[in-house]
Amino acid sequence: MRSAGDDLISVSVADVRAAQRLATDLRESGDWIEAVAGVDSVVARFDIASVRRADAETRLLDTAANISEPPEISKMVVEIPVVYGGESGPDFDFVCEKLGLTGRELIDMHSGEYTVDMLGFTPGFAYIGGLDERLKIDRLPEPRQFVPAGSVGIAGGRSGLYSLPGPGGWPLIGRTSRKLFDATSDEPFTLFAGATVLFRGVDSS
Amino acid sequence: MTVIVQQSGLQTTIQSRPRTGLRHLGVPSSGPADPLSMALANRLVGNASFEPALETTLTGVTLAFEVESTISITGASARCSLNGQAVQQHATIAVVPGDVVSVGAAENGVRSYVAFAGGLLADTVLGSESTYLPAAFGGYKGRALAKGDDLTLAKPVADTPVAETPAEFRLPILHAWTIRAGTSCETTSLRHGEQLFDQKFTVASRSDRMGIKLDGKSFEIESDRQMPSVPLFPGTVQCPHDGSLYVMSVDSGTTGGYPRVAKITRMDLHLLGQLRPGNSLTLIERNDDDAARELQEKHAYWRVWLPDIADVI
Repeated sequence: MRSAGDDLISVSVADVRAAQRLATDLRESGDWIEAVAGVDSVVARFDIASVRRADAETRLLDTAANISEPPEISKMVVEIPVVYGGESGPDFDFVCEKLGLTGRELIDMHSGEYTVDMLGFTPGFAYIGGLDERLKIDRLPEPRQFVPAGSVGIAGGRSGLYSLPGPGGWPLIGRTSRKLFDATSDEPFTLFAGATVLFRGVDSS
Repeated sequence: MTVIVQQSGLQTTIQSRPRTGLRHLGVPSSGPADPLSMALANRLVGNASFEPALETTLTGVTLAFEVESTISITGASARCSLNGQAVQQHATIAVVPGDVVSVGAAENGVRSYVAFAGGLLADTVLGSESTYLPAAFGGYKGRALAKGDDLTLAKPVADTPVAETPAEFRLPILHAWTIRAGTSCETTSLRHGEQLFDQKFTVASRSDRMGIKLDGKSFEIESDRQMPSVPLFPGTVQCPHDGSLYVMSVDSGTTGGYPRVAKITRMDLHLLGQLRPGNSLTLIERNDDDAARELQEKHAYWRVWLPDIADVI
């Protein structure tokens, strides 16, 4: 546990599932303004106008020592149809070359079922772990100014699903037509941490 | 009940309460980049601090009123006029149908705030009327105002008392800033990290509601910089590969993968909204205990004029 700033406490945890469980418990406790999970840490923000840091740290440790059981993960599978390569995946050929794979091999390795690690970055952007070890690749040296919504990137052993158009630094291998965020909907987020997704290759037609 | 936008300026948006408790879904806080100036504007016209108001960017805005109202203008210093006659910032302005109010280009600072007695009608999304431009939601159709847009006043308020911000509560808008900051999780990975503080940086042109780039000293990181994604908050200062500093602001992404080398203290976050490209900026160090104590002192000072100051900053 360490300070991440005057009103922030960061806690390191074993993995992304542990981070999600701790952050969820902290949010449900009502003691925190925000509690957000990262890949292997949780950062909680507290009201320094009314709570002493030492007391906040004690509360945080209490919650961490009594983590609730992981909730039953939804068995529902969210299917994500992906057009791989071409205009939909402008880095597809670069990724194949860099990883020494044929296009077919890349699609076969990437297609399949995964669990959403977390949402973050922008509303609804999904970090999805569990990629085949052979698909490990770095972020682009220079981020793109514009990435279309629905783009599917891979970096650091994860897939990243771009919910909004905007800048982005992940090599892009495909794009889905599935809407991932809709501000006008009663349920704006298509995905959530712990959800199961199925990437399935489809033709651009 | 409407106000027509005659000139929209560079980026004028409706802002209101920041969104909280949604960062785990990737939803940033948004809201006013300088919440203290917005609260001061709302205070003058008798509104709650986060009643929806306009936030301008560098170039101001011109509004034609088809309705009687009382308004106020605060924030970045700018020449303001009512039907071509100069009017003061930090004072109520009574308007009648046919009046045209102009907020000029910012002379110091970046963002002026225009508040309307009774507030503005705006789209509420995820619990707030604040505009979040990257996802195009909230405020006025999720976007910055454009010429010809019609704003609707939420409710007519008769006889708003004449008011002025007392001199001691007029936030000085400067061109050289001193901002209190503390260390963060990866500060120790910074070579010569002590040079973060008491050192002059220049606000770079690449600065907006997402974040502010600081030109000046470039830093080296004593690690491979391959960091897993971590939660970020407004005020977090990141140091990416190019060695420069980026200060996260109200619209910044909720997670990121660069070392967090400092954090602007909560009490001085509101100043980020007025940092103008070319301004000089010096960070001075505050440990967490002093930052909490000085925040409480700042609250005590401002509470006299803004009773809900602890919600604002």
